[in-house]
Parts: sequence; C-alpha cells; structure tokens
Amino acid sequence: MTDSRLFITPPPHLKKGDAVARAMRDVILALVPVTLVAFYLYRVNAVLMWAVCIVSALLTHFAASRLLGKKAGDISSTVVTGWLLALCFAPTSAWWLGVLGAVLAIGVAKELMGGLGWNWFNPALFGRIVPVVLAPLFVWLGPILSPARWSMSLVDAASQATPLAMLKGNGLAGAPSVTELLTIYPGGAMGEVSALALIAGGAFLIFRKHINWRIPVAIIGTVFVLTAVLGRHPVHQILSGGLLLAAFFMATDWVTAPVTDNGRLFFGIAIGVLVVLFRVFGAPPEGVGFSVLLMNPTARWIDRMTRPKLFGQ
Amino acid sequence: MLLSQHTGAPCEATVKVGDRVLAGQKVGDCAAFISAPVHASVSGTVKAVEPRKNLTGAMVMSVVIASDQEQEALAGAEARDWRALSPDEMRKIVREAGIVGLGGAAFPASVKIAPPKDKPIDTVIINGCECEPFLTCDHALMLARPDDLIEATRLLIKAVGAKVGRIGIEINKPDAISVLEGKLKDDPEIGVVQCEVKYPEGAEKQLIKTVLDREVPPGKLPSEVGALVHNVGTALAILDAVREGKPLTRRVLTVTGAVKKPGNVDVPIGTPIGHIIEQCGGFAADPGKVILGGPMTGWAVDELSIPVQKGTSGIVVLTKDYIEKNPTLACVRCGKCVEACPMGLMPNMIGIYAEKQRWDDAERWNAMDCFECGACAFVCPSKRPIIDWVRRAKRAINEKRRRQREAKS
Repeated sequence: MTDSRLFITPPPHLKKGDAVARAMRDVILALVPVTLVAFYLYRVNAVLMWAVCIVSALLTHFAASRLLGKKAGDISSTVVTGWLLALCFAPTSAWWLGVLGAVLAIGVAKELMGGLGWNWFNPALFGRIVPVVLAPLFVWLGPILSPARWSMSLVDAASQATPLAMLKGNGLAGAPSVTELLTIYPGGAMGEVSALALIAGGAFLIFRKHINWRIPVAIIGTVFVLTAVLGRHPVHQILSGGLLLAAFFMATDWVTAPVTDNGRLFFGIAIGVLVVLFRVFGAPPEGVGFSVLLMNPTARWIDRMTRPKLFGQ
Repeated sequence: MLLSQHTGAPCEATVKVGDRVLAGQKVGDCAAFISAPVHASVSGTVKAVEPRKNLTGAMVMSVVIASDQEQEALAGAEARDWRALSPDEMRKIVREAGIVGLGGAAFPASVKIAPPKDKPIDTVIINGCECEPFLTCDHALMLARPDDLIEATRLLIKAVGAKVGRIGIEINKPDAISVLEGKLKDDPEIGVVQCEVKYPEGAEKQLIKTVLDREVPPGKLPSEVGALVHNVGTALAILDAVREGKPLTRRVLTVTGAVKKPGNVDVPIGTPIGHIIEQCGGFAADPGKVILGGPMTGWAVDELSIPVQKGTSGIVVLTKDYIEKNPTLACVRCGKCVEACPMGLMPNMIGIYAEKQRWDDAERWNAMDCFECGACAFVCPSKRPIIDWVRRAKRAINEKRRRQREAKS
C-alpha cells in the first residue's frame, strides 16, 4: 500500500539549488558596480532611465503574460533585460526610447517568440537596436512629436562625444587615457562608464559558472588582435564603445549563444571580427550591438556544427 | 522474490503455491542467454505466485514466500577449489547462482564473463569507486573482505583469460587503498589504481578510461577494448558462488539519510525495504522520499513493501527538503549540461526532443549513448527532468529497433 508521506520524483534526487532565478540574481549583482558608477556620473538622469526601462519591462512582461494567457512566472530575467537595456542608453536618451525598447525586448523579442528560452535575439539588444534600424521609416513623426518635447530626455543635459568617436576622429589626441577608461569616464552609454566595474561583474559571473570564459575572451582577444594589426589602438578599442558590456553581459546571454565549447569560441571570434568591421567601415555607436544581434540567430546552427566529441569516438 | 530483477529475459516460476522452499533453492529460471535465475533467500512456504510492484512501479511476476524463520539451507553446497575449474565450468556456476551486477544495472555476470572469442580480455578491473555519492557498501566490503576480493580478482582473471587485474578505488577511501596496496605489494598480477573523486567515476566506461586510458566506443561493451569490469560486491558474489557453491540470495546495501542507525547491512534479497528501515531504527525525521539505489540515479518509491532486488545498492531516505520546488522551465540554453556530460552528449537537445516525444530526433542526438548518470539534470537551472526523458526516449527507441528487426526477419 502507498505511503502518503512519500513522493515520487525523477532523479537525480540531490539538487543544486541554482535555479534560473538564482542565476539572474547573480547577473543583477554583477551589474551593480557599473550601474553605481553611472548613477554617480549622471545622477538623476541615469536613475530615471534605469527605472523607466525596468518598470516598462516588468509592465510588458505582465501585459504579455495576460494577453498570451499564461502565468507570469519569475520576473528576475525580465529585470535583467530591462536593466541591460538601460545600460545600453546614454543618460541623455529620450525616455520614450526606453519604454519602446522595453516593449520590443520583452514583448516582441521574448514573449512573442515563446518566452524565456525560445528567443532568437538578445532581448535587450533587440530593444535597443531595432528602433535605430527602423528610425528612417518614422522620420515623418519627428516634426509632429518634437513640439511636444517627446524626443527630449527627461532632464536636459550636456552630452559630449563618446570616446570611440574621438578615436575615430583624430587618433588618440583628445581621447581619454587608458586609466580613465578603466576606472571612470563619462561618455557613451551608461554601461560604458567603467571598464573595471564591467570586468569585475564579468569575472564574478565566470567565477559563479553562470557564463563561460570562452565567449568574452574570444571577442576581446579578436578585437585586440585585429585592431593591433590594423594599427588602431587596441587597448582603447577594447575599453570603449560598449565592447566589454557586450562581451560579458550580452554575447554571453544563455539563450542566444552557442552551448558547445568550440561553438562559443567561434561565436566570440565572429562577433569580434564583425565589431572591427563595423568600427573600421561603419558607424561606431551601435556596432557592437549589431554584431551580437547578427550572430544571435546562428547560435543553434553553430551548436549543430560543433557537437562535442562523443566519448569513445 | 521478483522473477525479473536483472537486465534481460524474465524468469518463469519453478515452484507453485504451497510448496516448501529452502534458502538457496531456485524458484525461477529462464533459458535465454541474457538472464539469471532467482533463488529463495529464506526457507518457508510459497504463499503466492503473482505480480508485485518493483522499484520502478511496474508489476512483475513474483514468488511470494512466507518465511518460517528457520533459514534451512539447501544441502549440497560445498567448498571447492576454483583453480581446478575451467572457465566454462565457472561460467555455468555463475549463471546457476543467478549473479548479476550488484551496482545497479543488474546485468547477468555470466554473460559478462563470456566475452566474444574475437575480443580477448587482457585486464580485469574491480570497481571500488562506488557508483554514487552516499553509497558505501563496496567501501565496507573492501575493508571487511580484502583477501577475498583479491582472490575474486584472480578468479575473474582466470575465468576470462586476462593477464592482469586492477582495483580502482577513489582516493577518498584511503583506508581501503592502504589495506589492499599493503596486501598487493610487489604483486605481479594485480595492482591498485587510485581514482579521482569525481562523479561519475564509478561508471564502467569512465573507470576503464581512468585505469587503462582506453575509451569504449559508443554502443560497444568493455570487451571491445579488452576490459572486464565488475564492482566489489559482484566480484565477491562470484567468488562465493564458485568457491562455496552459494547462489546469490543476499547482498550488502547502504541504508542512509534520515534513518536513526544508518550503515551497511547484509540482507536477504526480497526483504521488504520497510523492514530494513525499521531494523535501522526507523525514520529519523519525517520522510519525503525513499530512494532505492543512489541519490543520483536511484528510483523514488512510495511503498515500503517493495522488496530489495539484486541490484538495490542502497536505501536512501530523504526529507521533504529534497523535493524540488522550482518549476520545470523551458531550456534556457545555458550549456551547463553540455559541460557536465561525461559522454560528450548534448543533453539539452535530447531533453527538448524527448519532452515533445520526438524520439527519432532524440536518437539523432545520441540518446542511446547516455548512461543516465544524472549530471545534466543535477546542474540544470531550468530543473528539467532530463534523465526521466532519456529513459522514456530509450524505451521508445529500443521498441522501434525491435520492430525494425522483426520486420526484417
């Protein structure tokens, strides 16, 4: 006869406790240092943009769950997406871009694709880049919206050229020093203000085994080698323009990156090559984001091409 | 006594209701090559021949014996000198004694020691690694019967015509290593190999890789690379059968977890697990799960009347804290399972397809090469029951292959 105290569950019976939600909390923890630096530099602008992105992401999450008729589930990955999206924006960006980005990220890139695990593009980058790509289609809206100050940021603020733009212009003259880039330097997106803060966060995630070293090392290494060969200040290239943010936090996004060791190396090298191509030939500001987004849909194909060696073969 | 507690064809009962049986008397047998007879572990009266639940929850034809508490043994068992026996004679004895792998898989030992003629075996490996965390029954046996274990190794070397023997022991058992190394000093034939403490080191193919640095190809048996692996308990059972004529009616298993007196116990096969838990002092806390086997690959059961089988290496009692509360989510492609898999598989893909019952796709992703160690499901942050799905996929794939074979013939 059945003992009502006993449960039947599938093996293994020991559990490790690192559920998805726990990993997402670690990602948030890893993002705290760079976010604090951004808050310190940009004050209320940064805090507001950050809040707008996360709140919009959460509202989209709940709305999408209701519309699609499923349980809202855990919100931690949504917070991460909103957070990363905020770090992709400059503090001077229009607040409605944050809202639009969050709706695209959570609503379109994630929930419409079937929810967490099924998305083909990194949601945060999707929300950041798609408006840029589609902007030309909506230029006619500009005159209608601008009188209402829609395109303005929440708080008026002076913006300055990003370090990467300075590099493109006139070599190293006028560009910030390596020390400045490493520690703290305003300019560009909120997630680009401190290389050390990003490296610390990335190292923490590697240490906690949430991300694998192969992707960030391959991206950074490729960019370093290629820009060195091309004589384009490799150290500055690595430390500026969101490369570290993308290498540690975007390209390593579980769902949209390969899962095999060799696949991860290939994926990282390909992104590195694309980044350098964008930076040499194209418009720099969103080059890194474009590179990652372009490689995202190939992740599953790369997996199939790089299946691990079967034991005994 | 379950009539199917091994890999292979089930036995037919050879006794009927009302018969008096003696301990060691055969109660079930089968003519198939891959099978093993079953013997009564107690003396008593056959109460019923009927289906009873086994550890997987399946109903299996069984001989139910009411013990008369006398343990009257079958006469005729006597000691003999195994060195005078031929390998064929040894195989017959092992087969008649009903010996199967005692680590869990319960593969008939007589089949294992009958390797194909074109695949000579050069090394006999004794698995002293324990297949699973928590289990210590082989460790206990190495300490209790080291001389017998060495003799069993020599016997196996002779049975398969091997040249050398190796006893693989994880380095977290230094006492067992030092005892056996002390006895095997300068031994030309047998040596101890110290193994890393890393699950699943006690898996057959992994142990061969560690000891011999040879990899058994996918879908092949250890004989392919000239190795025979038996765990400590099985080797000793073979020795007992060949040297003393004892059929397999008892085994040592580990009782641990939330029981008052955990330890290794020597029990008659067929004993209800509830009785063993009682003898070990009963539950030490409110039980949530009772696992037969180890905590990584064992089966959770919900009836304490289920009997110990030949392959039952442990009874692990876990409290409710060990019941997973996190929901099963979609695969988030974190790749942790791919990193963890000792076979070089992509458990994520097998799981995704098996969940949707797309067995052909699961087969393409090498579901059949999985030996169900559970490392993937252990690390999965989406708490996906990959092993459960793999087991289903394997059943479906085996069924399909059987149909294809039948269609051909």
